[in-house]
Amino acid sequence: MLSKLTVSPAPHISQKLSTRRVMADVLIGLLPAVIAAGVFFRLRALLVIAVCVVACVASEWLCNVIRKRPASIGDLSAVVTGVILALSLPPMAPYSAAIVGSVFAIVIAKMVFGGLGSNVFNPAMAARAFMAASFGAAMTTWTVPATVDASLPTIAAANTSATTQATPLAWSKAVQKGQVEATYINEQASWAFWGEVGGCLGETSALALLIGGAYLLIRRTITWHIPAAVLLSAGGIALAAWLIKPEAYVNPLLHLFGGGLLICAFFIATDPVTAPLSVKGMWIFGIGVGALIMLIRIVGEYPEGVMYAVLIMNAFTPLIDRFCKLTPAGGVPDVR
Amino acid sequence: MAIQSSKATFPGGVHPPENKQLSEHGGIEPVSPPKLMAILLSQHLGAPCQPVVAKRDTVQAGQMIGKSDAFVSAPVHSPVSGTVKDIALQSHPVVGRTTAILIETDPDSAAESKPPFDRFDSGFSAEPYSVEQICKAVHDGGLVGMGGAGFPTRVKIEPNPAMPKEILLINGCECEPFITCDYRLMLEGTWQVLAGIRLAAKACGVDRVRIGIEDNKPQAVSVMTEAAASVKDLDIQVVAIKTKYPQGGERQLIRSLLGKTVPTGKIPPTIGVCVLNVATCAAIAEAVVLNKPLTHRVTTVTGQAIAKPGNYYVPVGMTVGDLIEHCGGLTEQAAKVVMGGPMMGFAVADLTTPLTKTSGAVTVLTQEDVTRAKHQKQQTPCIRCGRCLTACPEGLNPTKIAHAVKYNRMDLAERYYMSACIECGCCSYVCPANIEITGYIKTGKILVARAKKRMQA
Repeated sequence: MLSKLTVSPAPHISQKLSTRRVMADVLIGLLPAVIAAGVFFRLRALLVIAVCVVACVASEWLCNVIRKRPASIGDLSAVVTGVILALSLPPMAPYSAAIVGSVFAIVIAKMVFGGLGSNVFNPAMAARAFMAASFGAAMTTWTVPATVDASLPTIAAANTSATTQATPLAWSKAVQKGQVEATYINEQASWAFWGEVGGCLGETSALALLIGGAYLLIRRTITWHIPAAVLLSAGGIALAAWLIKPEAYVNPLLHLFGGGLLICAFFIATDPVTAPLSVKGMWIFGIGVGALIMLIRIVGEYPEGVMYAVLIMNAFTPLIDRFCKLTPAGGVPDVR
Repeated sequence: MAIQSSKATFPGGVHPPENKQLSEHGGIEPVSPPKLMAILLSQHLGAPCQPVVAKRDTVQAGQMIGKSDAFVSAPVHSPVSGTVKDIALQSHPVVGRTTAILIETDPDSAAESKPPFDRFDSGFSAEPYSVEQICKAVHDGGLVGMGGAGFPTRVKIEPNPAMPKEILLINGCECEPFITCDYRLMLEGTWQVLAGIRLAAKACGVDRVRIGIEDNKPQAVSVMTEAAASVKDLDIQVVAIKTKYPQGGERQLIRSLLGKTVPTGKIPPTIGVCVLNVATCAAIAEAVVLNKPLTHRVTTVTGQAIAKPGNYYVPVGMTVGDLIEHCGGLTEQAAKVVMGGPMMGFAVADLTTPLTKTSGAVTVLTQEDVTRAKHQKQQTPCIRCGRCLTACPEGLNPTKIAHAVKYNRMDLAERYYMSACIECGCCSYVCPANIEITGYIKTGKILVARAKKRMQA
């Protein structure tokens, strides 16, 4: 009997919550977006997701084997990285490119830094940036969702073939350049909400992302601070621009529902490893991400800025954590 | 009598499963003393006692057997009549091994003692006892804070011109899961607790008393409210406060009841508050009125893996093993024996560890209670989720402190206010990576204390 008693520091009970459960919740939260991708881009979308997930998990496992460490794939974090990376790819992304990106995400952006919890940059976004630099054309080819016919109103300049279509953000850029009327584009906002627009696999349907985000909030997998900060700062800037010059800037709803803003707010910027710890830090981080996204979208040459905004703020996370040191409940002690 | 309740509470905290149903209906039962007792000489914060008896001496029940001349200390007494068998090292629940006086119980006087609840009633008055008399009885009786920390009670209640006390808070929260000893004491020894409160208020020189009880114990709240209403010479109120762990932490209770915060690194008297546990109050009444030292206490024996959970009036110095044996022994599922509650208690492997004045419970946990990951000590990397920051009732950054300690950076740990940690265990409780954050912080504090000692030497 004696030998069976264990000794360890208090507390002796713990909440029934594990890293695996947290990751599983994120996957459940991503499910509506995955389903939406399947609806709008059919089998191809699901295959891209599958390829990314398998490549991510396999490369993490290989890293474990090479470094002679216990297998860490059970925590499901590689699966999450795979799904998020896939959802941020264009529907027709070549499988080879998807595999290269997945390997980069896990090996370079995550395992080289020391694995889960030690990476500085969001692995999926780092890999996407790498892919944007390496496979430029493939990463900007947008397919028309399978549910709509190709005769949808599109912009002539971007519509080079019958199977490609501009994204809401490409329209927004075209409006800024005066190539098309803003009022005409603003009518597209409702399509962007449902998801029948061009774009990356997981970002087209705002509805699916909102459902998934709500799930994460209800499960308390994420706190509301980062999503609120990102959406408020991005939405605020978009609104300001629209109010100042409605003929040059599109409806802020288009900015909120179009592009990767929602998936960023709920699933990417909230990656705990690369976001600040404190609530104050989360606000600074979130506002920074939202502001950078809009800066790139409105002022920059790229139509979309989620990836770079997240990576830039990831780099600031240690600094933010250092600045937002918590004050103990009893105040800072007089004599140290 | 209207029950007063308060929604005010402290920030942070957790809601572990309460599990009080196992023992809350069991009345306090006396336990006959075992053949051999081991009375530890260090059962309090402060200087350990020196033995004042020798091997083969005979001792009487209630006789002082160890004392210290230090200001912050409390003497220890023998709970039984018998013979000193040895003075030797014995396993201690907190500090490893310390000196204990082993007493063989005289078989003729091995009768069980009953709690003296019936000696007190609503007619009690603190009038006949002077402040000096109360303080002396409290010191000579070896009284210490029975809620867990074991700070000598005399030091707390004695008048101190440098820090005058304005209000006395009575801690009846019992926020630890499983434990029900204070609850039963409030129900069964209501008048004794109240007598102790009135004596303590007199010693402290305060006329305002607030009794904080968590709202998951409505019966205790109503019984205490009714009893408190009979007191006319004191402004005494029972407040039902939110059930949340660690509501019974001294600093948290002050925040919840008074809305005040004790400055970091300071003790409650600096803001004019004295906090006493209900069990300590009962002991004060016993020591002052009945002249009986602290040799017995109510202890909850509980958990899924114990045959007969309940609340027992236990002689201090009885070993955990003897007490468990008295309660029908461990069942097959027993995985961990904890002295105290599951959040702050100390796991023991050696069942000859004696109970101390601060042992409010013996909790026997099953593997299921402990959770599999914790049982197998599987830790995964910190994913910086920030749950520990949200749970910390002291507003600290537990993960940063734990990692600083892990990499032996005590300077960094102190920069994140390691010494402000109250070791409540909320951070470890919520951690999805199952990191023993509290364990690291405790280790860090010990290492810092050792380093300071070395500097002085």
